[in-house]
Amino acid sequence: MALLPCGIHFESYNQDMGIIRTKSQWVTLIAFLFLLLVLPHILSIRFIAMINTAAIICIAVVGLQITTGYAGQINLGQSAFMGMGAFVCGSLAVNFDLPFWLAIPAGGLGGALLGAIFGIPALRIKGLYLAITTIAAQIVFPLFIMHLPANWFGALLGLKIEPATLGGITFNTDISLYYLIITTTCIMTLFALNLIRSRIGRAFVAIRDNDIAAEMMGINLFFYKTLAFFIGAMYAGVAGGLWAYYIRYVGADQFTLYFSVWYVGMIIVGGLGNILGAILGVIFIQSLREIITHLGPFLVEFLPQVGSAQLWFAGMNVVLGGVIILFLIFEPRGLYHRWSILKTSFRIWPFPYL
Amino acid sequence: MSFYLIDFLQYTFDGALKGMLYALIALAFIVIYRAGRIINFAQGEIVIFGGYFVFTFFSLINLPFWIALAFSFGLAVLLGLLIERGIFRPLIGQPIWAIVMVTIGLMILLQGLMIIIWGGGEQLFPLVFAREPVRIGPLLFTRSIFWGGISSFLIIFILSWVFEKTRWGLKLTIVAEDHQMAQSLGISVKRSIAIAWMIGCAISTFAAIVLLNGKEIHFSHSIIGIQALPVVLLAGMESIWGAPLAGLIVGLGASWADAYLDPYTGGVMSEAFPYLLMLIVLLIRPQGLFGWKIIERV
Repeated sequence: MALLPCGIHFESYNQDMGIIRTKSQWVTLIAFLFLLLVLPHILSIRFIAMINTAAIICIAVVGLQITTGYAGQINLGQSAFMGMGAFVCGSLAVNFDLPFWLAIPAGGLGGALLGAIFGIPALRIKGLYLAITTIAAQIVFPLFIMHLPANWFGALLGLKIEPATLGGITFNTDISLYYLIITTTCIMTLFALNLIRSRIGRAFVAIRDNDIAAEMMGINLFFYKTLAFFIGAMYAGVAGGLWAYYIRYVGADQFTLYFSVWYVGMIIVGGLGNILGAILGVIFIQSLREIITHLGPFLVEFLPQVGSAQLWFAGMNVVLGGVIILFLIFEPRGLYHRWSILKTSFRIWPFPYL
Repeated sequence: MSFYLIDFLQYTFDGALKGMLYALIALAFIVIYRAGRIINFAQGEIVIFGGYFVFTFFSLINLPFWIALAFSFGLAVLLGLLIERGIFRPLIGQPIWAIVMVTIGLMILLQGLMIIIWGGGEQLFPLVFAREPVRIGPLLFTRSIFWGGISSFLIIFILSWVFEKTRWGLKLTIVAEDHQMAQSLGISVKRSIAIAWMIGCAISTFAAIVLLNGKEIHFSHSIIGIQALPVVLLAGMESIWGAPLAGLIVGLGASWADAYLDPYTGGVMSEAFPYLLMLIVLLIRPQGLFGWKIIERV
């Protein structure tokens, strides 16, 4: 927790626990929201597309942060839960013509239920065994999707989805989708920030730190562990629903173990146990991804034997794998820790001590 | 013998031998886990990395058979040492999730390195075992799987002898049971973990030869590491003799599911069977069939 500047003190617990506590924080927040509003008119379409993808991933990773970072339940199946959300949302939109503002929450619920089912073993097993269970979820998921009847989830062909419409607006361009996605991301992040300050969030942290002690204090482990998976997977499901409307195609190969590993990598890089950490991780990894995409042509000349089609994948793997390993060895507390050191030293300047 | 019986026998033997291959990979996994409590999600990548070493010395450089084999295994052992020194030694004493995550990082790092070093296309793996199948009565076996199955039994026998009867192996077993106890008896835990990684990588390379002999080598085959996870869990994470039995159960189950259930389920059962079995095992008996300790229940 970053320290506050000198001279700021609160007189009630409510003030002290607020998300926004000082005037300058209000100013920054309003400036930031205004920036989000005008961003599509400043940046090029390519940047907007990048932000859209990052914002969707951000929702899933914030969810993972709740399950893994706060409740301490290792989850390597986030991508499957996201896929479940996308398929439920897509299926409802295609088969029942549900509007997007019903289909996306339904997708969230679909992902959440799948997550809760695979979270139940968490009551009996933990740590690395749980990681294996969620990997099983991740591997079994596409198998089942592909072998269910084609009119449910599209089987091998996947689902093609019509653009979302609201009133007279059709969300079919990057800019219109930007507003839909960013609004959802902001709402979901705000919900997460509030959730973790509530009774539920404190129960999660207690379970993470020591689940036997938590149970002694009267926390129902079965309920809260399943709830941690439920909420985390609900985030993934909502992200999946947005993904379905953004790409407008849903296929089982979009939700593999590979992406789950990415999401876990993002919370490690950003810092476990902090919502801002999740967001920082997404921004950092997605930026690396773009940099590699841009370096692609140069790298192809440098490493001709690899083949340009595979090079991006290979480069991404090396960078992401390397980043995860380096962060775990040298900065296990992630970017968030660095950020909070920076912020604190800025706030208490000119005093040197944190 | 009737036609159906021969069919059934063929499926059974195929399943059993495939199970032996899983057991071999599970064995590498178990050796590494025993020493450092490291659950190695990068196991499949290490197998294929070893396979690429074999590919390099046999097909690219064209060394004579035994020299190529020696170089491949030498390099695999070196890789094990490198991984232990570079990644796992700095993490000794870190929480369990950090170890799990770092193996996941290693998994994708190795995948990327494989593509960059050897290219992303499929390449023909050398024939270490001859191509023509072994014929016993009316049954046919792929030669590599046949010899692989038999030699994995041999390896398991040697390993369990080493771990239980030799002074050197007993040191590794003590480390497996309790790090602090081993340390206070003057056994170097660090060195034991390094040795375990080297043995694990050598076994992995052998598994790669059995798996890929005469087929195409491609980085995506490293999924075998995840496929072997159910065998590891069923065996119990510490049990060397558990691996072949669990391999047998999973191999037979998958093979029979392939033969008798898949026509009705559209091919899903044989692929999903090991994982479903694993989920059941985790829920009912989390320490596996032959695991040592009772897993901390909550």
